[in-house]
Amino acid sequence: MGHAAASLIAREGQTPERRTEIDFALIGHQESWGSAADVLAVLRGAERTRLPDDEIMEIFPWIPPRAVCNVEVASATGAKARGVYIDCFIPPDHLGSDYVHDNIGRVRAAAACAIKAGARIVSLGGFSSILIEGSFDQLSRTSDTIFTTGNTLTVAFIVQGIRKMCALEGREICKSTLLIIGASGDVGSGCARCLAPFTKRVILCARNAKRLQTLAAELEADGTEVEIATSLEQVPYAADVVICAASLASPSLQLSPIALEAIICDAGYPKNLSPRSGIPGARVFFGGLGQIAGGLSFMPDFKGVLNRHPFPDVAHGCLLEGMALALARRFEPFSQGRGFITRNRVEEIETIAALHGIRLAPLFNSEGPLERISTSPFRVELGTSAPVQERKFCQPLASLVP
Amino acid sequence: MESLVSLTCSEQVVCNSPLPTASIWQDVLAQAVTGELMAAMNYSALSTICDDPEEVADAMEHAQGEQGHASAFYAEGTKIGVDVPSNVNARYWKRIREAFMRSIAERDFIACLIVQEIMLESFAVASYTRVGKAAPGSLGETFAAIATEEEGHIEHAMEILRAERARNTERFDDKLYRLHLDVMTTLTEMVAKECRHGQCDLCHSSCVKPSLSEVGLSTAELRGASLQQYLKSLDALGLPGEVTLQWVTQLPV
Repeated sequence: MGHAAASLIAREGQTPERRTEIDFALIGHQESWGSAADVLAVLRGAERTRLPDDEIMEIFPWIPPRAVCNVEVASATGAKARGVYIDCFIPPDHLGSDYVHDNIGRVRAAAACAIKAGARIVSLGGFSSILIEGSFDQLSRTSDTIFTTGNTLTVAFIVQGIRKMCALEGREICKSTLLIIGASGDVGSGCARCLAPFTKRVILCARNAKRLQTLAAELEADGTEVEIATSLEQVPYAADVVICAASLASPSLQLSPIALEAIICDAGYPKNLSPRSGIPGARVFFGGLGQIAGGLSFMPDFKGVLNRHPFPDVAHGCLLEGMALALARRFEPFSQGRGFITRNRVEEIETIAALHGIRLAPLFNSEGPLERISTSPFRVELGTSAPVQERKFCQPLASLVP
Repeated sequence: MESLVSLTCSEQVVCNSPLPTASIWQDVLAQAVTGELMAAMNYSALSTICDDPEEVADAMEHAQGEQGHASAFYAEGTKIGVDVPSNVNARYWKRIREAFMRSIAERDFIACLIVQEIMLESFAVASYTRVGKAAPGSLGETFAAIATEEEGHIEHAMEILRAERARNTERFDDKLYRLHLDVMTTLTEMVAKECRHGQCDLCHSSCVKPSLSEVGLSTAELRGASLQQYLKSLDALGLPGEVTLQWVTQLPV
């Protein structure tokens, strides 16, 4: 697509030469009309009235992909990296398959913006990596710009989140049945490789049976008990740990059957589960998110708008991967294609990220924080419950410890 | 050069068409004819501040071309049985014309090109393309053909403007922003969902905007496509996308 992006630059009369050299670009899109409205409100400035919802829905689809703000990230080492956030301006209700060609065009145009801006590495957030999954080899053919999906760090934070939530809830993952929804995807299969060997049983759920069989064979070769299901109705056991990593256009997943008080990691963007899905007793948290100890700043100030989380300096792992690699001056396509995320690669990106103070974000869900930062030796507490005293894993998870 | 159509609104506007949507097309054509006549007047005025004889000839040729477009639109009205009024003193067009003439008075050739080629032509190309797809028969073909011709104008002006921006980027961008506030504010008010400040002085009875859906058009689409084209033109000039995005989102709705 680098070629396609360069062609797009030429066709639209854009000057392909670089404006300024920047370390990274983050390509993303808004997951809801509420967040789209907030972005437009910041762009319009506080002195102007917010646009009414109907106007936003009329205007938004016409905005061509482009840089929205400058981003600066600071490492725990004191180093800094500069970048831009580029929005594809995909209307939040156009993420379905009916709009796939338009959306691919938007992601390509966003990639062209990143190349034009002189980004050395580009992270692809949300649907943007899925949309151009098949054409990664062409991404940087005509430029020095490197592209990464960022999925490896996303997997790392999902896995760390599951581990932390199990510990907080006093669960033993070695006795758990893990259900991964969207298991044939890059993130889902990466999670399976990292977590399956430590569980009692794993159930892989996705629409593509062939891909599931291939992954199941790989996991079974390592001695894991694996079941596959091409729909949730076919899931044979009530799982007590669930990772929702399906590429859904909206929060529409109906989870059943699952065990009472199951731990559920919603790692979708947009979210897989509706806040109103009401799963009795379930402990739902949003997965795949990290926090930057050195801080993250935007110009203009999109803090809390582009990263709408209850904790500061939190972002999705996919975007953080590009920032971590930029801070480490490792301009390489760390994550590309589908199905190449291994435990070793996860461990490697965790180490890079941690070195620069990028770690798992405190856990939260749509209702707010699930933990509060504590000064106790145990670091975190779940709500007002007692401090966590031990990690209840049956085997060491050395490779997963950040 | 004698005008084939009147520059001011005709007193009686006739609509004797068998086409049920003719009165809608009549109002759409009235805007197009007025825009083209104003473009012709702008190029004629531009020729008076050009020093290079080649530039003078170019400007006069463009004026003639725009006059031809106005005539073509007028003829399309005749084909569907409607008289097409025009009025360069209509509410919004007059304000745009005045902005352009201020640049003429300052003998600012670059400002004139920015207004005509970047702002007005972006709206013309985008809206004619949309109308070209929605309008029936030769009416649609004419809009589409003129959209293509107008697009050709833009590229020639782009070369001049890019070179000018390369000479002094900050001064160029400041000038463009001043013109943007003046002209683009008017243009976006013109294509707003409702004419909040009163009638546009071109629709033959009530405002045509609510009726556009009957012919497969909408103000949202025309405005969106026009602003998108404008942003792409600014991209092509090399202005930073994050800056121009703020400019556009701050326009009135």
